[in-house]
Amino acid sequence: MAGGKKSQLSGPAPSSRTLVIDNGANTIKAGFASEDNEPRIIPNCIARDRHRKTFVGSELDKCKDFGEIAFRRPVEKGYIVNWEAQKEIWDREFFDEKAPQKCDPADARLVLAEHSNSLPALQTHCDQMVFEEFGFASYCRGPGPALNAYNDVQAIFQTPRPPETVVEYPAEVMLVVDSGYSHTTVTPVLQGRPLHQAVRRLDVGGKLMTNYLTRLLSVRHFDMRNDTYVVNEMKEAACYISLDFKGDLEKTWKGTRGERRLDYLSGAGIAKDYVLPDSHTRFHGVVREYEPGVSAKARKGAVSTEDVLTLRNERFVVPELLFHPSDIGMHQPGLGDLVMQSLSELPIGLWPGLLANIVVVGGNALFENFIQRLQTEVLQRVPDACIVRVARAQDPIACTWVGAANFARHAHVETLAVTKQEYEEHGSAWVARKFALGLGVDCDPTG
Amino acid sequence: MNNFGVIEVAGGKTTRAPGWAYVPDVGPSPAQALQPTNRKGRAARNQAGPSAADVSARQDAKIRKELEALDRDTNKDVNIPIPPKVGGSRAQTNKHTPNVRKILQSQKTFANYLDDYQALLALAETNPAAAAALNPANAAPPKAAPPSTARNSPAPPPPEPKSTAASKRSAAAAKRAAAKEAKEAEEAAAAKAKAEAKPKAPEPLAESKDEDPPQSYPPDGTILPAYQKPPPPAHPSDNDPLLVSRIPPFPSDGELRALMTAPPLSYLEARGTWGGEETGYPTRVFCEVCGYWGRVRCMKCGARVCALDCLEMHKAECVTRYGL
Ligand SMILES: [Zn+2]
Ligand SMILES: [Zn+2]
Repeated sequence: MAGGKKSQLSGPAPSSRTLVIDNGANTIKAGFASEDNEPRIIPNCIARDRHRKTFVGSELDKCKDFGEIAFRRPVEKGYIVNWEAQKEIWDREFFDEKAPQKCDPADARLVLAEHSNSLPALQTHCDQMVFEEFGFASYCRGPGPALNAYNDVQAIFQTPRPPETVVEYPAEVMLVVDSGYSHTTVTPVLQGRPLHQAVRRLDVGGKLMTNYLTRLLSVRHFDMRNDTYVVNEMKEAACYISLDFKGDLEKTWKGTRGERRLDYLSGAGIAKDYVLPDSHTRFHGVVREYEPGVSAKARKGAVSTEDVLTLRNERFVVPELLFHPSDIGMHQPGLGDLVMQSLSELPIGLWPGLLANIVVVGGNALFENFIQRLQTEVLQRVPDACIVRVARAQDPIACTWVGAANFARHAHVETLAVTKQEYEEHGSAWVARKFALGLGVDCDPTG
Repeated sequence: MNNFGVIEVAGGKTTRAPGWAYVPDVGPSPAQALQPTNRKGRAARNQAGPSAADVSARQDAKIRKELEALDRDTNKDVNIPIPPKVGGSRAQTNKHTPNVRKILQSQKTFANYLDDYQALLALAETNPAAAAALNPANAAPPKAAPPSTARNSPAPPPPEPKSTAASKRSAAAAKRAAAKEAKEAEEAAAAKAKAEAKPKAPEPLAESKDEDPPQSYPPDGTILPAYQKPPPPAHPSDNDPLLVSRIPPFPSDGELRALMTAPPLSYLEARGTWGGEETGYPTRVFCEVCGYWGRVRCMKCGARVCALDCLEMHKAECVTRYGL
């Protein structure tokens, strides 16, 4: 099934470069398979600050004052929804004369990582844009989580092996937990093929957690609803996943009326002070050790010009939503149950391989203790004899891109890629079916 | 002080509070109220106050509103127009194809597209032809070619056994059918494996019938090749019956094939399913003010607070919202 190769006899010459894009809701990860070992991270938004200055994509790097900054995002729920905005960002980053990663689509292949379970209409829009507007010579759209199988998975687990071992892609078996801005998904992957029937999603991601922290702060400290950028930085810097939720909640309770608990007064190692940016001298917030009374004084404006707030249970109840979405009334299972729902779709003979190779990717993997907590949650739910190994990719934000780039260099890409000519001959429905079928089983597993 | 009818039961020494067990009231739990089960049982217990139903409705509405807010991308509705380009741009405006023009002009949100898709699925069940006509995937590409080329192309055919009838169905409905077939094939393969001692290559999936002859099918054990490196050195206790680990049988290639070729689920199908409180753990409730366990309940609105301190703070907000 060398569809791409065959038609190139009559079509254009084989494309010389492959642009690899992992088009996330928060950031785009982009680079050329032939030249780059790591992607450029591009904010996937059009932003407007309080001085009404607009920033498109990577222009946001020039922004200093993020107070009250507003965002327009082309990607919603993980999928490209608004192409007017997405095209503007892609144009400026890839296609314009002065684009930082200038690419001539007519002489290039695009490998685009997408989230599973998209809507057919959105996939069609994407395919139409790629061929009819940008005019890529060749194109392949594939599920991002599964592309992680084209990473050196055993290196992630630090599995002992002889140094001369040649890494073969894709990995035989792995369970990918992808926790990003829009949601968290569980994807069992066999030989690079996602087992679609067992893909499961939890609608908790970085956005919801930032919004939740924003709400908690607005109730307890001051209104930050127009400062989600600031809150997001605070979340990334100060939140952690608790390994003892009940214990940590006890330690952060003030106590009953008139009787402040010692742990509350001392901070018990959990409380932290967060110094907010002031948009004059400090453009990013800073976490500080808790100093009793500092935030109260700061609020009165008596001693300091700093805005300081003390974070207590906010530090861990926010990422706790990954494991207990019902804490905010969401009727969805936590990540431990989600993994089990995925496994329950599969023959039990596959469980040992999947459970021993759980890889966590996506920005939320950076929360302290994510790996340990997920391991505990899964261990609680599987038979005692099961070996459960959970690991975080070295760079959880870039690793889907790295996998996609390895895929773009692998023979498998030829099986899946579609040429512009094929698109023009067979139409977008044919292209959509081809991508939905994926690699199938019959192409040689080693390529 | 107005306690809103609540007596604080949690003393200063209840350090081992497991959260959900300390709630002293007998009214409905707001989380339970969201569940359709146990309605009768709840009604019987609802004698505590005449406003119990109101209270639970207030809590439900509040939770729903808050979840919607948490799902939003921005606090305010922002409308940021595309800024004009500052030189160096590609001169290619007004050259869009009709498809592209439509896509770029669309101001639909994900929720709009999801509604469209669900409507399309419903239509596909009652009127497949109409659904196919509405499917955006069937829009003509710029240079339309005869549809028959799809059959002769090297790429895989559409995932239906009857490709003539299939081409008229919408892609969405087709996917669904393929999912069903895959599931059936999977079940059939599983049943076969049980019936026969050594399952032969199972029925190839319907979709691969015309172009992938069964002989291209790899023999068992080739999809995931067996471990080929030398085994670890023997250990004296290797045969100790107490230490033998029970490894579940590895699935046949037939099962694996069915799993690896099954089509993707739809957006809603892929969402994890909530088992409710029967299967999971009791829903935890928290103080709305400080985030500690919500051990007492405001009788006016159903909100949970930890103790009297927080109840007083809640009271101010509650009065503003629901009156005295
Ligand atoms: Zn409280
Ligand atoms: Zn109230």
